[in-house]
Amino acid sequence: MADVKHAEVTYEDIEEICEEFSNREGAVVQILQKVQEKYGYVPADALEFVGEVLEIPKSKMYGVLTFYSQFYQEPRGKFVLKVCVGTACHVRGAGLLVDKIKEELHIEPGENTEDMLFTLEPVACLGSCALAPMAMVQGTAYGKLSADKMVSLIRQFEEEAEKEEEPV
Amino acid sequence: MLTDTLEDTPVTSGMQTDLPVIHIGMATCGLASGARGLLELIKKEVEKRQLNVQIIPTGCIGMCHNEPLVDVTMPGKYRVSYKNVKPMTLTQIFEAHFGKKDFAKKYAVCQIPLPGSEPYEGLALMSDLPFFKGQVKIVTRRCGMIDPLSIDDYMAMDGYKALKKALTSMTPEEVVEQVTKSGLRGRGGGGFPTGLKWSLTQKSPGPEKYVVCNADEGDPGAFMDRSVLEGDPHAVIEGMIIAAYAVGGAKKGYIYCRAEYPLAIRHLRKAIEDARSHNFLGEKILGTDLSFDLEIKEGAGAYVCGEETALLASIMGERGMPWPKPPFPAQKGVWGKPSVINNVETLGNIGHIILNGGDWYASYGSEKTKGTKTFALTGSIKNSGLIEVPAGTPLREIIFSIGGGMVEKKIPFKAAQLGGPSGGCIPSDGLDTPVDFENVVAAGAIMGSGGIVVMDEAACIVDTAKFFLKFTQDESCGECTPCRVGSKIMLDILTRITEGKGQEGDLDELVRLSMYVKSNSLCGLGGAAPNPVLSTIRYFREEYEAHIRDKRCPGTVCNDLIKYVVIEEDCTTCGLCEPVCPSGSVTWEKGEVAHIDLTTCIRCKACVDACKFRAII
Repeated sequence: MADVKHAEVTYEDIEEICEEFSNREGAVVQILQKVQEKYGYVPADALEFVGEVLEIPKSKMYGVLTFYSQFYQEPRGKFVLKVCVGTACHVRGAGLLVDKIKEELHIEPGENTEDMLFTLEPVACLGSCALAPMAMVQGTAYGKLSADKMVSLIRQFEEEAEKEEEPV
Repeated sequence: MLTDTLEDTPVTSGMQTDLPVIHIGMATCGLASGARGLLELIKKEVEKRQLNVQIIPTGCIGMCHNEPLVDVTMPGKYRVSYKNVKPMTLTQIFEAHFGKKDFAKKYAVCQIPLPGSEPYEGLALMSDLPFFKGQVKIVTRRCGMIDPLSIDDYMAMDGYKALKKALTSMTPEEVVEQVTKSGLRGRGGGGFPTGLKWSLTQKSPGPEKYVVCNADEGDPGAFMDRSVLEGDPHAVIEGMIIAAYAVGGAKKGYIYCRAEYPLAIRHLRKAIEDARSHNFLGEKILGTDLSFDLEIKEGAGAYVCGEETALLASIMGERGMPWPKPPFPAQKGVWGKPSVINNVETLGNIGHIILNGGDWYASYGSEKTKGTKTFALTGSIKNSGLIEVPAGTPLREIIFSIGGGMVEKKIPFKAAQLGGPSGGCIPSDGLDTPVDFENVVAAGAIMGSGGIVVMDEAACIVDTAKFFLKFTQDESCGECTPCRVGSKIMLDILTRITEGKGQEGDLDELVRLSMYVKSNSLCGLGGAAPNPVLSTIRYFREEYEAHIRDKRCPGTVCNDLIKYVVIEEDCTTCGLCEPVCPSGSVTWEKGEVAHIDLTTCIRCKACVDACKFRAII
């Protein structure tokens, strides 16, 4: 995996996020979610600042962060390919989708591509089992996928990214 | 004119208007089938034809296999439902309704009766379709029928009437009495009597109490709660407000929803806002002394948080680890105060029970499980989707009448997996099991939250057991040793078996470990983790033995045990299999039978799929 640029976080930014919550102690998970929403992941500095603002020991903050699978400690790709590997998708070949992505993008589950365009993330049930196998990318659900369809989706995202980069 | 209820137009109810109405199913299943693109096309078509119609996005009516679904209601006529609508068919549907004043026979699936309206001739009623015939819709009654984002739509279908009834004409004790009478039991899978839970919380001392909705639907293969939240969010909110009143005036409630359901969360947010502006939430609700408000807590990806004490820990910003009971949440819950925790579906039933009475609800269902239960039908089944049936409906009826049987007619039924990672498999001998809490347990599975995954003969039982155990093992929070270590050892044995390295005695060891993990784990996750293994060993021992002794996987799923061969008699020497092989293991010469080199074969199955004559197995 390539070296990635980490986000720059200031104490003030974090203070601002924490201020949105009145009952701060109970809001640790929500605050971390807000942090992740802003930076795409939870930078180490941010975690430390949240702990300082809320007066919660670093160890406990780290404990919460690592308990939940949807918190990330490293930056992630622009398109996170969330491939459902729940029961119905498993029975209908979700494994083949994962294998195809690995082969196509040369990444393992949890990893980013070098250009930081894609992240592969197998997830437990997304709740659209009737359309198995399915995947979710940037909040959009794609149903009845096959290995080939997955590849064309990837191509589609690549094109999208290219278009965005072109000067207007 | 174009009206879109999402943004600008207040709708009284899509069903009582003088304008033609177009409903489009836009729950996650609809969206994943392309409903958003379809909506744009509908808008374009409406503009092109300069029509005055209402377009209403709805939730899921349950026929996920038919998505995207589009319904057209002309004034004075029944509502016509169209399935698998594609851009091409859309024009014909418009032409039929707005041109010929008829319906598009070729694409219509059924019609839905509306009061004071006329039916079309030659189209089945929804209630006559095999998929709906055995169903009784209580909690999913409004799903797919109304615009979930419109509080007016909800109120037009009896919404918030139960709340008014409870607050103005019943005491909290009377509310609890009706819920107790209804026989309603926890629909998240626990099956604890809801009335008793409420009464325990009511009797707990202290002025500060909480109501919590468990919307952390984590079982893979289950999406009942998602459908209810997306399709009828107000029903859950109404249930929570009634609960707040019943337990003696809770001031605050939490909805803990898993983050994998972004649409459900969005719908809940809007519903809570609207409920506030109608004073169903907030200070002095409907002029009474009840003040109650709701907050949504998004999960962050931890299956164990579906377990109630772990969920409470997570709400309080901790690691979501369960604590030993007692104390029960009814005594010490959120912030150490008495709390009532109910599942989405349980709460969705409350309004109907209060409105129609506990006895009415109890008239449905079996002896010990009253009312209805929703199920998510998935896997190798023809009509996959969301259904609601009276508790005690035989599994056979659910799978073969409502579900339409197997998706591939030639491959017969093997087993149904009920209850997700905490459940088990029921084989064909058990198809007559009435599906309720007690009978399913006797058959070796659990009714659970309602996921039914149907497997055909092409599925591998050992692989399925391994799949579930891997899931629970991943999600084990690590607090207690039996679950953390026990599940790991069990998974290692299962993995070995699927790799062809199984040994004599493995099965006995699995059973022994299962019993140990079951009886010694701290919470429900560990306590139920061995169920998928135990039930499959009970019914499919031969299949395990085939893996262990013969190194053979009858379902041809376990890669290490698969040996693809070309059946000479069936091979037409067409050569289609040769170019698709990514590893160059298939050799073929014109006019010759193809050959597969098993030493280089990567078991990708590409040749099997490419062969049109089923000559490669």
